[in-house]
Amino acid sequence: MVGTIPIAWVLTLAAGLFCIGLFGALSRRNTVGILMGIELMLNSVNINLVAFWRYLRPMGTAGLTFTVFTIAVAAAEVAVGLAMVIAIYRARQTINADEADTLKG
Amino acid sequence: MTYWPVIAVDAWIGLVLVSIIKVTLILVGGSLGMMFLTWYERRAIAYMQDRRGPNRVGPQGLLQPVSEAIKTMTKEDITPLDADRVVHFLAPVVMLGATVLAFAVIPWGNLFPSSLRVGVLFIFAVTGLHTVGMLMAGWGSNNKFALLGGMRGVAQMVSYEIPLLMALLPIILLSGSLSLTDIVTRQGDWYGFGWYVFSPVGLTAFITFFIAALAEGERTPFDIPEADSEIVAGYLTEYGGMKFAVFYLSNYMTNLALCFIMASLFLGGGNGPGVTALGTVLGGLLSLVYFFIKALALFFLMVLIRGTVPRLRVDQLMGFAWKFLLPIVLVNVFSTAIWVAITRWGPQAQIFTDWFGEPASDNYLRYGVAIVVTLIINLLAVYAVMRINRRQPSDLTEEEIALGLAG
Amino acid sequence: MNYVVLTIFFLLSALTLGSGIMVVTVKNIIHAALWLISTFVGVAALYMLMEAEFLAIVQVLVYAGAVSILVLFAIMLTRQITGTGTRQLHSRWWVAMLTAAALFGGVIVPTVWQQGSSWDKTASDAQAILVQQATEANGGTRPEIIPVAGTEELGAALMGEYLLPFEVVSLLLTAALIGAILIAFEERTRRRRVLTLAEELALRKRGIVEPHDEEGAVVPVDAEQAV
Repeated sequence: MVGTIPIAWVLTLAAGLFCIGLFGALSRRNTVGILMGIELMLNSVNINLVAFWRYLRPMGTAGLTFTVFTIAVAAAEVAVGLAMVIAIYRARQTINADEADTLKG
Repeated sequence: MTYWPVIAVDAWIGLVLVSIIKVTLILVGGSLGMMFLTWYERRAIAYMQDRRGPNRVGPQGLLQPVSEAIKTMTKEDITPLDADRVVHFLAPVVMLGATVLAFAVIPWGNLFPSSLRVGVLFIFAVTGLHTVGMLMAGWGSNNKFALLGGMRGVAQMVSYEIPLLMALLPIILLSGSLSLTDIVTRQGDWYGFGWYVFSPVGLTAFITFFIAALAEGERTPFDIPEADSEIVAGYLTEYGGMKFAVFYLSNYMTNLALCFIMASLFLGGGNGPGVTALGTVLGGLLSLVYFFIKALALFFLMVLIRGTVPRLRVDQLMGFAWKFLLPIVLVNVFSTAIWVAITRWGPQAQIFTDWFGEPASDNYLRYGVAIVVTLIINLLAVYAVMRINRRQPSDLTEEEIALGLAG
Repeated sequence: MNYVVLTIFFLLSALTLGSGIMVVTVKNIIHAALWLISTFVGVAALYMLMEAEFLAIVQVLVYAGAVSILVLFAIMLTRQITGTGTRQLHSRWWVAMLTAAALFGGVIVPTVWQQGSSWDKTASDAQAILVQQATEANGGTRPEIIPVAGTEELGAALMGEYLLPFEVVSLLLTAALIGAILIAFEERTRRRRVLTLAEELALRKRGIVEPHDEEGAVVPVDAEQAV
């Protein structure tokens, strides 16, 4: 991997995935779709962490540890987020983000 | 850049060729093994129920699965009209793929060791993908019973994955490795009888793991996703012909893989008397024999349970996983830590050395103390969990009191 | 150049990015979730290629096996949205598209490609040191597999250097667990077990009925009011 593929390629791949996820999170009406976009963004960040670990500090563990933390935080985020989606659905019979607008003045 | 590539291109080609041969062997061996297992299960259950079972095609009915395979292959391939065609087609592929991947890291006796350093985790990661296949089958069929079966199956698999993985933790603590080959090698003490199942913590882990494995492999009493008296055939309802056979194949191969894993993790894999004495080749063959005997004995246990235990209800299933298995498994992790401390800690805990002597494999005082302590902890845990789970009449909800369930 | 690694990398990139695009564009939300699983598996394979095998397996176990199932369950529990009839994208989706494209082409890629050569130099230095250490440890000959920090080092780091963040993350997970249960809690779950049809019927005869709305969904009302 190192020596064959420049690190910039891996980072560009991660950047592409991040921007796809950003587009999904900004443009979807469905709340679950927004969560999926956020998952894509978190995954691209993890690719970056692992790439920097493997290329620049292969004997250190900072990149690996932070990826584990990110995965744990992402799992927590999805659990709470989807619970909220279900609660919103039960109260408003919709999970479209632009229709849940009770707080709008 | 003179040091790359590490492995030259021709070595890669060799690697790919060897991998293709291995995958072919696993697929062919898995299908043949599955055929044998179906015949074996039907015959064994028939004798338990005072019947004869399939005994007409071939000697003792051994060719019965072959005729059934031909039958399923020649059947028409049907997709329901309103089904999601792609998802409906891909579901059995995902199921079988997840199963075959699990076989990649199982060491077959001492002859074919596997080299992945995190092999144990790998197996459970890829068998976890079965949930995806189930949900795809349930949703893609566009059938209420299929969706119900898929949801039941996923809820069951997700719930039982937690006790399954937690039951593994004691073994990982005892062996200090995530590689299946290492775990098997470390059970070779005491003339090949240093199996982990012979310690209280290992026994508890084995029993909990076996129960959770029954649920993971959808065996009775946990065959709720396919309960044909309740929801037709669960997520298999809309499948026929070859696709159904692929589901069936994946199911039996998963059970076979779980038996292999249990034999490796708890029953010492290919270890047994005489394996090390006979040398590499003969000893390796002997270890293969031991390995298969252990795995088949475990499969027989599964068949025995199918022949005797009725199916659980969905709420009983969930309650059992969360209220019974999980606490016991957690306490078992704790008592494994105590076991490791008592049997292995020398300079880390001087007080143990003062009391029981230096840690060594022939220091029986240390092992005796460890067995007594961990046995007491585990038995207390089981007693406490059973005590807590006993229903208290005052906790009934108003609906249940209205139903007259209080008395 | 090692063409095998190169080919694998490009195939994995195509898989990951292609399924990522499908996740955000496809109309049927269930299909989007299935494409999401494919993206996760592609990322896991990428980790495997970068020799982070433990992370690759955790990725499959947590993301492909658990998170995606949670997403699928949430979609199936919130009905009437799987149909392709409803509009899935926001009316101003092109603003989002422009933002993402500008971020990609205007900020990230120039930065990465400007810094890339210096990072590559550091990387080749690090790799040279790694190979040298491995050769010395192997007694002068270059071993076939160059060891990098693996599961053991990760475990030691989590229990040593990063113990406090580890504890904080475990606390966060516990809080998230409790929070998720509380938010999604349904009054019906106060029952200690699922009632059989006969018992539900008996309850109805006594006038203890679950309040339903016109579509058949259970409306959360306190059990006292229902009685």
